[in-house]
Amino acid sequence: MALVTVGIADFKVSNNPEDTLVSYSLGSCIGLAVYDPVAGVGGLLHYMLPDSSINQEKAEKNPAMFANRGIPLLFKSCFKLGADKNRMIVKVAGGSRIMGGAGAFDIGKRNYAVLRKIFSKNRVAIAGEDIGGSYNRTLYLQIADGRTSLKIAKKGVVEL
Amino acid sequence: MSLMEEIIAAVEAMPPFPQVVHRALKELSEPEYEVADLVEILKVDQAVTANILKLCNSAYFGLPRKVSSLKEAVVYLGATQLRQLLLSGAVNKIYDQPNEGYAVFADELWRHALATAVMGQVLRRHLKLKLDDNLVFTSALLHDVGKVVLSNFVADRYLEIEKLVEEEGCAFQEAEKRVLGFDHAEIGGRIAVKWDFPPEIVAAISFHHQPARAGKSYRLLTELVALANNLTVMVGYGTGVDGLACRGHGLLLEKLQVKERDLENLLLLFQMEMAKTCDIAGVGE
Ligand SMILES: [Fe+2]
Ligand SMILES: [Fe+2]
Repeated sequence: MALVTVGIADFKVSNNPEDTLVSYSLGSCIGLAVYDPVAGVGGLLHYMLPDSSINQEKAEKNPAMFANRGIPLLFKSCFKLGADKNRMIVKVAGGSRIMGGAGAFDIGKRNYAVLRKIFSKNRVAIAGEDIGGSYNRTLYLQIADGRTSLKIAKKGVVEL
Repeated sequence: MSLMEEIIAAVEAMPPFPQVVHRALKELSEPEYEVADLVEILKVDQAVTANILKLCNSAYFGLPRKVSSLKEAVVYLGATQLRQLLLSGAVNKIYDQPNEGYAVFADELWRHALATAVMGQVLRRHLKLKLDDNLVFTSALLHDVGKVVLSNFVADRYLEIEKLVEEEGCAFQEAEKRVLGFDHAEIGGRIAVKWDFPPEIVAAISFHHQPARAGKSYRLLTELVALANNLTVMVGYGTGVDGLACRGHGLLLEKLQVKERDLENLLLLFQMEMAKTCDIAGVGE
């Protein structure tokens, strides 16, 4: 089994049943796992910020840093490997915040809000999610069967 | 021995800060340091020397020819880069040991320290704070050094600490204080005193979870380190078992009127800088 790390502001797609994609330490960032069980294609995105309009130029080089650029890119890259939009199973984790971290601090909330907006516009349903709180999460996606699991410090691993 | 006495004994038992690095940093802080003196100090330590040459010859600098003498490397790197390299090398070793109490994944404390140092520098630069860059870098790099000592104590009493966090909404550091009598911030401050760091660094470390308690002349630096820590924890750089269970210190953001988009932009700049730093330091992002 190959563990493929998806770092901050990055995404990976795969159709290799040996692969497990993983994003470590999702705080206010969001991990988005998508999977087409028929094509056996999956992808994982680890984005950090809601909207690329803050810096278009940097967004060109780092689209996966932003929800509005990374999400379409993740889906398109899966389609290229034969995935179909209507079969996609979508799971979301992250968007936490520090204690009392409301207002400008709460980037996690904005990260999640943009995702919801994009999904409702494009009629994408979320099959499972674990959002918010003051945890930090690690998200795994197994390409062999599309299983997603979530690890929260000292709480063990649960299926998402 | 009481628990608190045991913890103090563990602080006493911490090895000293590497003397060669200490002496070199002191020399570097002279407004007009002598390269020859610096080389004299550094060449005693082969590991340090090798590190300096390695960085100089790394792809990052892309020099047309190989630098092979320490003297050349010292001149080439200049004071700021050399200082950061020496500090990171020494601090990396301090954090780099199994940390049962805090770390979920290996390397976590070090990545968090490095990220906080980079974040501190980005904030200082872009918010135009009147602070010395070396002070920012050093205190941010060392802010959680107390975790090295507290690790075993936290591991032993973890369930009690977790209970306070989960059931009473304590920050992790507040729960440490209640269960152990000390928290990692004040222990870090004691270590910094033992290591002879200046008072502003001691204050920034000691109060990075309660910046309002720092003395007035150290307040800005402490607030900056507190904010930088908040932001790296938030983004997920090396957060351990404590997760995001730390209080937000947004005072500085309010004072400087940093709005949502400004903050997002700062995080963007941080991330670009951090990617570069990880490259140089050979750390996974
Ligand atoms: Fe801390
Ligand atoms: Fe910290």
